[in-house]
Amino acid sequence: MSAQRRFAPGDCYAVVSATAIVVLPAAERARVGALWELADSGASPSILLDSLLRGGLSDLRDFAWMGEGEGTTRLIVRGSATARVSSESGDQILSAASGLMWQEATLSTNSRVRISLADAATAEHSLLPGISRVRTVEWDTSTEADAADEPIQQPIAVEPGAVEPAAVESAAVEPAVEETIVEDQFVETPVVAAPVIETPGVEAPVIETPFIDAVPTDAEGEAAAVDPEPVVEATMSSDSPPAGPAADEPAAVVGEDWSDRDGHTVIGAPTPQFDRPPIPGQEIAPDVVSHPVASLVFSTGDVIAVDRTVLIGRAPEARQFASHDQPHVVTVSSPHQEISSTHLEIRPGAGADHGSAIATDLGSTNGTLLVQPGLAPEELQPGIAVSLIPGAVLDLGDGVTIQVTDP
Amino acid sequence: MKQVDLHHGAATDVGLVRKVNEDSFLVAPPVFVVADGMGGHSGGDVASQMVVEEFQRMAEDYDPAHGANEVAGAFARAQARIVQYGEAHRALSPGWHAGTTAVAAVLVDEGDTASWLLANLGDSRIYRTTEGRLEQISVDHSVVQELIDAGEITSEEAQVHPERHVITRALGSPEGIDPDFFLLPLASVERLLLCSDGVTGMISDHEIEEILETVPDPRDAADRLVRAALAAGGRDNATAIVVDVVGLVHDASYDAQRQLQSLESKLGGRQ
Repeated sequence: MSAQRRFAPGDCYAVVSATAIVVLPAAERARVGALWELADSGASPSILLDSLLRGGLSDLRDFAWMGEGEGTTRLIVRGSATARVSSESGDQILSAASGLMWQEATLSTNSRVRISLADAATAEHSLLPGISRVRTVEWDTSTEADAADEPIQQPIAVEPGAVEPAAVESAAVEPAVEETIVEDQFVETPVVAAPVIETPGVEAPVIETPFIDAVPTDAEGEAAAVDPEPVVEATMSSDSPPAGPAADEPAAVVGEDWSDRDGHTVIGAPTPQFDRPPIPGQEIAPDVVSHPVASLVFSTGDVIAVDRTVLIGRAPEARQFASHDQPHVVTVSSPHQEISSTHLEIRPGAGADHGSAIATDLGSTNGTLLVQPGLAPEELQPGIAVSLIPGAVLDLGDGVTIQVTDP
Repeated sequence: MKQVDLHHGAATDVGLVRKVNEDSFLVAPPVFVVADGMGGHSGGDVASQMVVEEFQRMAEDYDPAHGANEVAGAFARAQARIVQYGEAHRALSPGWHAGTTAVAAVLVDEGDTASWLLANLGDSRIYRTTEGRLEQISVDHSVVQELIDAGEITSEEAQVHPERHVITRALGSPEGIDPDFFLLPLASVERLLLCSDGVTGMISDHEIEEILETVPDPRDAADRLVRAALAAGGRDNATAIVVDVVGLVHDASYDAQRQLQSLESKLGGRQ
């Protein structure tokens, strides 16, 4: 890829891969990290866009996305992002005027794009794949020769409000706009598997060609695993010319065992003790201990023994336990909503904390106050376990306290 | 247990590729099961049916005060039957195998309130919606899920990973079973979805969310989910059960969104 890219330094982030640029405001640090991880792993522009939009549009007010593939370059701007496109036919300013969800353009080759989220500046530094703090980025779209490098990467066309999902589902859409690509075995490049783009309020037309079942007939089960089942899978591309059967491009490639893998689940080698990564700094607790390590005396009058995990909250949820170590869930009322739904965890300690109860605030909204005898009151840090000594008192808010006593 | 009124709908389809529907499901309120068999005709379909039969038997004499034990017992009996069935077949044709995933949802008495007890083995899934937001509750027992948890691949990469069809736990596995359980307060679940990977492998979570959010009748919603999976290619058997708790007043005090945001801001955001 020989495209020329330059930038002017500033506060915004630019996530740059070989074929795509995403520009985001300085506040979007978390999103930038996630995008770069994808970009660095070779994700196609459409996957980056997909990821960008995953959380919905409501809190994604400003962005610019530009992606290259199949000989076309597409550009989307939203909010304060603007782009100046200069080509042989003159200059054009692209911006989402008020009322528009976003603005999209397909760029011809040999145009120069200048994207800014605020005031533009002269871009004179060379922009390389990675994350850059920018004010303005410039990208000269590549010539035809460059585009041939990545035949798999298929930009997903997004057309605001083009087709309602219901229309797609009923398969009533005329197969007029279709472009078939089918994944070719397992190419390293991530391929958009589900021909669906997740965009609230912006439904992309998905047009599926009818499935072609080439399996002769009665072969069942194992036999079906052997027979290649050609799947013709269509992704949408709203900008492609209405391609009839006599399409100009090499339209369909047929993937062979692609389909089979989806329909042919097998049991793999067991991974008996696959331990999910624990919360950093915490040891994995024993499931259940034979003797309770402490008793919890609630201000509500409940008394609960800590012989296993105890989850406390307004509507506590317990996840991923086995039938023999089902946690105690203790529901406490919180008329002022000071207590979160799953607020606090208390469980028997492991390792150095063996024999005592340890408490962890599970990211509650209003926090948990701990008063240990002889120590200054402390606010529990979310996700950080603290060993409890007898006599300790935990305050969850709304007048609910828990006293820790010997069992 | 207070009487809880449930509305539900279920749909299944063999899909456009497979010749046999190896999915089975059970709707016996307050017991709901989806099982996705594997091993081909008279293998996977029988295995998943055995799970359903054992849960059917459990539902006839169900004690909501001991939900986890009841469910674990039904799993154990189904496991024993499937293993025995497999051994009988392997005596005749070595290499023959049958197994099945299963997800189950039952109402249990937790204290004096009703809760959902959910159980999972394999890569069938349980989702809930709360305030219009879809959340996957079950965690797949699959190679790709483990790679995701280990941070080695992203969920996008998982969709095209060559081993995405390999599951790590299932009924019928000679190593035994180890189901995951989940306990959710009744009020935290506006709508529950149990489905096989023939649904989730074909349509996105966003599409699922949209259907669950916009189709009020659970029977129609289940139907729409399965039809959407077919429309997207129908590469596998597709089964969906949708359950609504009737009269569940919207609990304004449930602050799932707020708590999630709080957790994210404190722990550094979702990556």
